[in-house]
Amino acid sequence: MQERLTGFKCKRCGRVTYPKHERCLSCRGTEFEEVGLGDECTLLTYTKLYALPEGIEMPPLTLGVVDFGGGVRALGQIISDDPKIGMKLRPVWGKLRKIGEEEMYGFKFEPAEKG
Amino acid sequence: MRDVAIIGCGMTKFGRIEGKNLMDLMVEASLRAIDDAGVGEEDFDSVYVGNMMAGELTHQTAIASALVDRINLIPAAAERVENGPASGASAVKNGFLAVASGASDLVLVAGGEKMTEADTDVITDLVSTMTHPTAEYVHGVTLPAMAALLTRLYMERYGLTERHLAMVAVKNHSNAMKNPYAHIQRPCTVEGAMSSVMIADPLRLYYACPISDGAAAVVLCPLEKAKEFADKPVRIAGFGHASDVQTLHEREDPAVLKSVQLASQRAFEMAKLKPKDIDVVETHDAFEILEIVQSEDAGFFEKGKGHLAVEKGVTALDGELPINPSGGLKARGHPVGATGVAQIVELVWQLRGEAGERQVKGAKRAFACNFGGFGNNTVIHILERVG
Repeated sequence: MQERLTGFKCKRCGRVTYPKHERCLSCRGTEFEEVGLGDECTLLTYTKLYALPEGIEMPPLTLGVVDFGGGVRALGQIISDDPKIGMKLRPVWGKLRKIGEEEMYGFKFEPAEKG
Repeated sequence: MRDVAIIGCGMTKFGRIEGKNLMDLMVEASLRAIDDAGVGEEDFDSVYVGNMMAGELTHQTAIASALVDRINLIPAAAERVENGPASGASAVKNGFLAVASGASDLVLVAGGEKMTEADTDVITDLVSTMTHPTAEYVHGVTLPAMAALLTRLYMERYGLTERHLAMVAVKNHSNAMKNPYAHIQRPCTVEGAMSSVMIADPLRLYYACPISDGAAAVVLCPLEKAKEFADKPVRIAGFGHASDVQTLHEREDPAVLKSVQLASQRAFEMAKLKPKDIDVVETHDAFEILEIVQSEDAGFFEKGKGHLAVEKGVTALDGELPINPSGGLKARGHPVGATGVAQIVELVWQLRGEAGERQVKGAKRAFACNFGGFGNNTVIHILERVG
């Protein structure tokens, strides 16, 4: 299990990217510091996927793009039956899907305030 | 650089083609293009084959070598070009560069894919592997999911509605019914599209392209030699090719297809033309939202206004700027490696005035947009009628 969702901060220009690039997307710098993306993000867009990929059993699978501010975003599964653009979310570790026989884990996003 | 002309073109019927494998389709399209150009007795210098998944789907690799063997273009320099669903346009671009540079005088470009024998799940998964392995794919992202995320952004920001997507589908179905090569040959209504099954909310089945088999081919030579072979050569006036970050979420603005903007600007600069000079367009509408977004980011309509152009009929066959007279990926079909070449074939027919019932009257200049990923790799071509 990973403690927190992390991005990569360029040591030359400070740009944070997620996922990692071997050269910075802004300045082509090659040294990075791993930094936490934070505990709060906002839902930018989402879809409820009914035609499911392998290893996910129950439709729909809700996927969304979340915004951490400062141009840093991530894509992931959204744990909510009623997603709304602009809702506050937080990253939470969990099982994503099975690929072949392997269970894949990673960060998903759940409402920051559980109703 | 030398001016480059398209002197011949041909394609197979797109659709579920029983009894013909990938190489049979590539051979058929290639022979039609060679025959159309009237260069059956000439020596070809190079052959570019656009294909994305022959190894995975049809268990055959090094297919360019196989093609020159089947139709005896030996000893032409033969190679396969893979650039995702833009493999076809990338192959055309490579053929263009080979002639423009002076390295080749006669070039065959063929694109093809055989997809319908595989399970839909297998295709969906293979196509999904174009996405980022750890930041997208593993989370369950599919291409329909990407298109749905973009669609919802557009709805939120620009007032696009589901009805607009349905209208694009209706238009493209209607155009395809005038195209004997098209996969889908039946009409569709706005209500019918809007009641089709939901695949990735807000995206329904009818807002996405089918899975198809097919191949298409063109023959290229220097423009100065084109008149020896063709009555109506078509000049490749410009191309543009640009990439962007792989993940949707890391784009400067996830609602903007920057690679389309850049590739289009480069193509227009090279052709010394502007969007208003274009008479007919083929876009990469693997999902109907993409036709709208591409038409804006290519410069034909203001950002956020593309759906209004659809609403007003501007992009209809008899509109000011017809888009996808062939039926587009939605209805001509999308055998991925063939698509970029088929777009060029359609536009050559349009510029020669040979497009039959779907002819855009008086078309002189044409624009094609082929996508090699979900918006992160775009190849544009601009074609022009000669004389």
